[in-house]
Amino acid sequence: MTDCGCDKAKAELEEYLHRELSDQDFADVTDHLQNCTDCSHEHTVGLTLMQRLRTACKEQAPDTLRADILAHLDGAHA
Amino acid sequence: MTAAVLALPVVHRELDSDAMTDTTPDPADLRELFTEQAMPFMDQLYAAAMRMTRNPADAGDLVQETYTKAYAAFRQFEQGSNLKAWLYRILTNTFINTYRKNQKSPYQGTIDELEDWQLGGAESLTQGRSTRSAEAEAIDHLPDSDVKDALQSIPEDFRLAVYLADVEGFAYQEIADIMKTPVGTVMSRLHRGRRLLRDLLADYARERGFTAPETSPRSTK
Repeated sequence: MTDCGCDKAKAELEEYLHRELSDQDFADVTDHLQNCTDCSHEHTVGLTLMQRLRTACKEQAPDTLRADILAHLDGAHA
Repeated sequence: MTAAVLALPVVHRELDSDAMTDTTPDPADLRELFTEQAMPFMDQLYAAAMRMTRNPADAGDLVQETYTKAYAAFRQFEQGSNLKAWLYRILTNTFINTYRKNQKSPYQGTIDELEDWQLGGAESLTQGRSTRSAEAEAIDHLPDSDVKDALQSIPEDFRLAVYLADVEGFAYQEIADIMKTPVGTVMSRLHRGRRLLRDLLADYARERGFTAPETSPRSTK
């Protein structure tokens, strides 16, 4: 019963996802995820959300923007 | 007044040390350096500006203003430090100071104090494991437009925190610097923002007839 750190893992999953945990905590949560289906699924949801946000938010700036920016630099002084 | 007097020698020392390094670029070199280093971030900054302003015209203006300000301050940028974070700080400040004023939001200024139920989200920690894997699958299959719509409809401070962490991969401390809030606030905004996104995406998935999980009733007021 000392094994299942569900509370700790659940509380830290977001920081785990964003690589904000210390090496030790990261290893602990990784271990827990390998043994706990519930937490592992929860992590998958978080990871999927992050990946979907990344792909969905990709944009390409309009062609004219680069030229507009560069033209404005000449008017500004560094 | 005292502070200003005390600060002067420090400023001079910085200027002196700058002058002593022979790497201080002349204006033409500076422009080239700036173009070479900063322009590759244009599409990324534009994407962030699109999520901030919600329309291409304002996003373009915001990015252009960001570059103009960045160039004007580029001598103060410490070479070797994180240019991307520096550009995002300028982008975010410019957005908050210029564009946010024009966008009325009922949440403004008090968003961090609202309770979760007031935000319309519900902690669904009671979900079973089978519904969680269905939830991941549903999120995975939703079209980009749904993901962007969901992001667009959560409160702005949450949206910025989520965007900076999940899309841009900034560290919490960097986000705290960009948004000028304590790290604890960043974490809270992230957590609540992501929770709201999950609930919204679950709703969208249900509307599209995907096998989406039931979330807890949303109007338990």
